[in-house]
Amino acid sequence: MSAAAAASGTYTPAAEAGGKRREKREELRRHLAEDADWPRADGRSIHDCRPAFMQTGPTTAASGSAYAEFGKTKVIVSVFGPRESKKAMLYSDTGRLNCSVSYTTFATGIRGQGLENKEYSGMLHKALEGAVMLHTFPKTTVDVFALVLESGGSDLPIIISCASLALADAGIMMYDLVTSVSVSCLGKNVIIDPTSDEEAWQDGGLMVSYMPTRREITQLTLTGEWSDGKITNAVELCMDACGKLCEILRERLKDTAVLESE
Amino acid sequence: MRDLHLPLNQTQRVRLEAALHELQTLAPAAASAAAVTVADTIPVNHEDNILKGHGTTDQDGEVVATLCGVVERVNKLVYVRTLRARYKPEVGDIIVGRVIEIAPKRWRLEINFSQDAVLMLSSMNLPDGIQRRRTAVDELNMRSIFEENDVVCAEVRGFQHDGSLHLQARSQKYGKLKRGQLLTVPPYLVKRRKQHFHHLEQYDVDLILGCNGFIWVGEHVVVNEITTFNEDQEKLSAEVETFTPMETRKHICRLANAARVLSALGFTLTIELIIQTAEASLSSNVKINDMLGAEFYVQTAETEAKRRADLLGRKKGGAR
Amino acid sequence: MVGLSEGEKHFIRGGIAQDLRADGRTRLQFRAVTVETGIIPQANGSARVRMGATEVIASVKAELGKPTILHPGKGKVSIYVDCSPTAAPMFEGRGSEELSAELSVALQRCLLGGKSGAGAAIDLSSLIVIEGKACWDLYIDGLVVSSDGNLLDALAAAIKVALSDTGIPKVNVSLNAETDGEPEFDISDEDFLQFDTSSVPVIVTLTKVGKHYIVDATSEEESQMSSAVSVSVNRLGQICGMTKRGGAGLDPSVIFDMISVAKHVSQRFISLLDSEIAAAEAADAE
Repeated sequence: MSAAAAASGTYTPAAEAGGKRREKREELRRHLAEDADWPRADGRSIHDCRPAFMQTGPTTAASGSAYAEFGKTKVIVSVFGPRESKKAMLYSDTGRLNCSVSYTTFATGIRGQGLENKEYSGMLHKALEGAVMLHTFPKTTVDVFALVLESGGSDLPIIISCASLALADAGIMMYDLVTSVSVSCLGKNVIIDPTSDEEAWQDGGLMVSYMPTRREITQLTLTGEWSDGKITNAVELCMDACGKLCEILRERLKDTAVLESE
Repeated sequence: MRDLHLPLNQTQRVRLEAALHELQTLAPAAASAAAVTVADTIPVNHEDNILKGHGTTDQDGEVVATLCGVVERVNKLVYVRTLRARYKPEVGDIIVGRVIEIAPKRWRLEINFSQDAVLMLSSMNLPDGIQRRRTAVDELNMRSIFEENDVVCAEVRGFQHDGSLHLQARSQKYGKLKRGQLLTVPPYLVKRRKQHFHHLEQYDVDLILGCNGFIWVGEHVVVNEITTFNEDQEKLSAEVETFTPMETRKHICRLANAARVLSALGFTLTIELIIQTAEASLSSNVKINDMLGAEFYVQTAETEAKRRADLLGRKKGGAR
Repeated sequence: MVGLSEGEKHFIRGGIAQDLRADGRTRLQFRAVTVETGIIPQANGSARVRMGATEVIASVKAELGKPTILHPGKGKVSIYVDCSPTAAPMFEGRGSEELSAELSVALQRCLLGGKSGAGAAIDLSSLIVIEGKACWDLYIDGLVVSSDGNLLDALAAAIKVALSDTGIPKVNVSLNAETDGEPEFDISDEDFLQFDTSSVPVIVTLTKVGKHYIVDATSEEESQMSSAVSVSVNRLGQICGMTKRGGAGLDPSVIFDMISVAKHVSQRFISLLDSEIAAAEAADAE
């Protein structure tokens, strides 16, 4: 059937029809739920994160900016400030941090699906406010704008890590860099850095935002049913991955500093 | 009495209703007779030139009420007094307020009134105690005297042209209130008395009944110290580690809870009643947080009914 | 939210450190909880919960709908919270959007479990009418009427009670050949399916002030918090969801400690709620 269609020169849809694709996914999911060594769809093992590409300075108009690409997830974050607060009438001896996360309409497979994630702005704020030294910019506001160009899974942790890089690039005083990693629970196994397919079938999820040098967790969200031991293992796995991700961020910042000083 | 959200079981409900009923019968009879609602006609003698006061209006020659309340007559003046009024300030009232804004040469305080009250910098003693003209430096240092959200005790000095209040805090007993709790009760439950500052020696607690319905229960502060502002700062940072001692804290909690229960029941708050209720809770071994529970609530209502009955009985007995 | 002066804040912190809070409670004591069911006659289930001055209402409505393509054997549940301006004037218009979104998401996380449906409080496959064609959509709405701290716990308790009061009407399906294979639904007014709410979790929020944790914070105590962890625990003692709020970072060992304290406290809360639910059912039956 497909040979005939190819001969006629018209555009051929994927060789396997939708039903068969679903079946293959189901099978992969069953394997992952049981077997700890089964390779995932992109060939990783369950404890491997995707290779991280991060870069500072994509936006010249902003005080600081960063771009992150983790597999299919692409995020760009710009930081503006410290700027005069519009609500300058309210005296406060600490600064304000204003976070906003938005998705482009083409970010997800179905147009406009990402717009449902309105709560990410609040969660980004919570993850960052423990790290930023707000008292160093009183009466002013720092704006953090995150834009998700493509959503490939594990969106919020990548947004948070990228935002820390952008804040550091903007020269905002922070206690430590915040990095964030999420894990999914599939059957017995705990999978780190899930893609959007893996997230869609997860039995539970855990996201940790961690400051590695200070050893403090700034944010933690957990979904699904977990037992105590599982939580401890998953949190430790995340903290370890956060530490490694933080090293990557530091290297990026050092490179930028070296470039600027030349 | 506002609707209470306590889970009362059947016996408690019966007891509460009995106590409230008794209190109602004991109330002076005249008060209930003259109650009016909006658009009720007030019976007046048309030959006298009656002055129509607050809460009344003229409709077709009849005097009609525009508020719900009790009709009061003073000589030729007829007016309606509401039962659950907003706070009505008078010169000389002692009030407790919270600073909401620092404006040029004055502080703006929130006092549970329709407008915010104003405390001028010149109506406040300077920290060093010297009487002098306020300079620009003093104005810049206003924040060191009172900050936003500070609780302040002051006296009403007068009214401004737009109806808002002018306050003064020149005496040593007025000023910032520190370690303690602030409670809000309906203002009509606090009647004007001679004394609003109460220092309870047996508990080492200060109780201030503000006429505007803010009640302050806190640690006792020795009044005659002239503390300069530097000393204050040091003391505050040293106090960080030393919290209020446990005994005093227990008494503060008990008194505060007693005030809460009494205000929920709608009884006029006087210092004697508050102390009595707190002691009753101690003697019946009610735990502090159970004071806000159903059992103590009903108990307090019954005690009050009995007390008033006794008082009336004694009065009648004495008159005879 | 009214501000607090330094002295008052110091007093509250001292109270928490000495285990005697402003209204006399100890650190791990809840305020008195009042529960009423069946307050909204048009909803399939409803409840009102009062904890001190915090008052919330939860309602559950069920409507017939189509299941999604990804999960043809399951019904759908959506949770939404609204903060009414009667609670605070700043909730008018868009002021409450952020808070409502935060509460809705936290409740969804705790009650709906993972994306595959595991660990969900409600068994979604019990909501199916015809596989692939028709299912029940449950709309759970929470309304905050008066706010004095600890909104999340009160909302979760209200949802649990509302679900215990919910009755899904039985549907008689008739496949009518004339209507081209589209089934006709006959929703009966008589028979109802009751939910089994023994697996619905409750949420316990532990607020950290200074070095200690307190349960059921009032809004004054919440203004003093350094961070708060809300843990959702079901009757079997399993954790069904967790959210950390607040600006300060926490040491991981502190978080694990809070989880165990929350588990301990939640068992007490669950039994309290269950007895209230039973009392309300008994009162209804009379």
